[in-house]
Amino acid sequence: MALLDLRGVTKDYPLGSTIVNALRGLDLSIERGEIVAIMGPSGSGKSTLMHILGALDAPTDGEARLEGHDLRELSENELVTLRGRKVGFVFQTFNLIQSLTAQQNVELPMIFLGVKRRDRLERARYLLEKVGLEDRVAHRPNELSGGERQRVAIARALANDPEIILADEPTGNLDSETGATILDLLKRLSVDQGKTMILITHDPDAAAIAHRVVRLRDGRVVQEVRNA
Amino acid sequence: MLREFLRLAAQNVLHRKLRSFLAVLGVCIGIAAVVGLISIGLSLQAMMKGEVSKVFGVDTFVVMDQDMMNQQRHGAMKEFALNMDTLQGVEGVKIVAAVRQRTAFVQGGVNAEGKAQQGFMPVMGLSPELLTEFSAFTGDLALEPGGRNIQVGDTEVAVLGANVAERLVVGLGDSFLVAGEGKNEIRATVIGILAASEESDADQGFASGMSSSSGDTVYIPYATMGRLWPEGNDFLVTAVKILPGYEVDDVADRAEEALKAEGSRVTAITSGDITDVIDEMLAYINIFLGGLAAISLIVGGVGVMNTMFTSVLERTKDIGVMKAVGAKNRHILAVFLIESGLIGLFGGLIGTVFGLGLSAVVCWALNTFANMPGGVSFPFVASPGLIVVTLLGAFAIGAMSGLWPARRGSRMPVVDALRYE
Repeated sequence: MALLDLRGVTKDYPLGSTIVNALRGLDLSIERGEIVAIMGPSGSGKSTLMHILGALDAPTDGEARLEGHDLRELSENELVTLRGRKVGFVFQTFNLIQSLTAQQNVELPMIFLGVKRRDRLERARYLLEKVGLEDRVAHRPNELSGGERQRVAIARALANDPEIILADEPTGNLDSETGATILDLLKRLSVDQGKTMILITHDPDAAAIAHRVVRLRDGRVVQEVRNA
Repeated sequence: MLREFLRLAAQNVLHRKLRSFLAVLGVCIGIAAVVGLISIGLSLQAMMKGEVSKVFGVDTFVVMDQDMMNQQRHGAMKEFALNMDTLQGVEGVKIVAAVRQRTAFVQGGVNAEGKAQQGFMPVMGLSPELLTEFSAFTGDLALEPGGRNIQVGDTEVAVLGANVAERLVVGLGDSFLVAGEGKNEIRATVIGILAASEESDADQGFASGMSSSSGDTVYIPYATMGRLWPEGNDFLVTAVKILPGYEVDDVADRAEEALKAEGSRVTAITSGDITDVIDEMLAYINIFLGGLAAISLIVGGVGVMNTMFTSVLERTKDIGVMKAVGAKNRHILAVFLIESGLIGLFGGLIGTVFGLGLSAVVCWALNTFANMPGGVSFPFVASPGLIVVTLLGAFAIGAMSGLWPARRGSRMPVVDALRYE
């Protein structure tokens, strides 16, 4: 059974007085341990697809299964718990909580899952060390560089030891050199820890680390290429 | 998890120092007003109760006209009829002292032109015990040098108000005529003249202001009063001291019952009755003051609400992120509610300190600068109950003001919140 399995997925949402058909019968299957890059022009449905792959939203129609759970059959709270355990997000704009330190940001997903304080502290330290920020644990986001912020975000994404890392333009706000080190880190972590990684990106360099590149257009998959 | 939420909320409050400070200030002013005004009310209550307990011991009650404790009374004391023997005979009664009042024809000396001075004047019959056993009621009746007060066993004597002595042209040792009912009359010897007082009548204790100012009244012994007029509808007040081992309320109830059974329109008033009336009256005052202060508290609450709306809006993206990493709606709600509750609580803490300070300053100023009669002082009251209720209330007001914004924040769909810029 595929880790993520989408069959004939459509997603419509209202925008002002019109209905946007963001996804129009999309099929996609992602296996455990795969690194998949999803590419496509603006308006192709990348973000909407990311929301569904990350269990942030359910499709309007069709079938979307994460580890066999049909997203359309889950309540809002069940969706929250599922993504809290199974998915770690890395965003283009890092999306760290400004009032919290690096360590507290990494602790956050564990707090909501009810992880004990001592285990939380230990894991947050361990992950920040993994991303090379052991000397930045007490810094707040505004005291960190862009690359450092994205490292904190990656550590946070790994906090609950999820199956899937979902990275939405992870290098979009970084210079190419920093972007390269972040991609390197992401690849290393996903291979080391056996994570499935999905990259939503415009960046050909980002796509280059993937096993498979999926291209979208107008809410459908138009091309799938396996990297050698 | 509560501890973590508390920490998250506290860090959010501290992260936006200026805005949090302003919201705290709003609550603080409201709470300070509430605590300050209610504390001043409590001081007033403590002062009044202190004064009552100075006059009434635990062993004393008074018998007065039955309308005295009703809402319809209009200030002035009304005369009533009473049988002193009945009252004295009630179980538990130790001493009874009474005051009766009539208007009598009096005739004194002659003036410079040889004309006899005469007229109608208020005459009060005072039990001598009133001055010895119930001195708190009479206040300090200062006499001119050489005079003395009415004592047990006195018969045809009188103590005169300063004005009366002047008008009748009589001095210490002189005698004058007091005519009672029918042919009853006595020649009373002046044994004392009240010193002309600089204080106003209201400050001269219980006996002075009964129906006329003390300077215009002729005081004679209670027994002598009985020789001039039979006991009738002319009692002003009767003070009763009870025997040790009796409960004042029980004896007062028995006395009232016994007197009413004989047709006297009286009521027996204990210190408890008076403090009840004071409590009731001050409860209204406190509700009024508290209501006024509550308005400023509402304004403070609206301030918190405004702050929280801004905070929720500003942190829409944070809400999205928290939801993306596993926060449920109730987690978001809890974080924001605790945050607004903390603002309320901080405001409450500071406001309580300021409110108590305000009350202390007012009490101090009243005690120091206001020229209060007879050693009356405003005690500063810091009620622990008030403080606890205020702090809980402040947290609740904060949390309630935050409820609406927090609900809106918590219900925001995660996808929309993440997209928010």
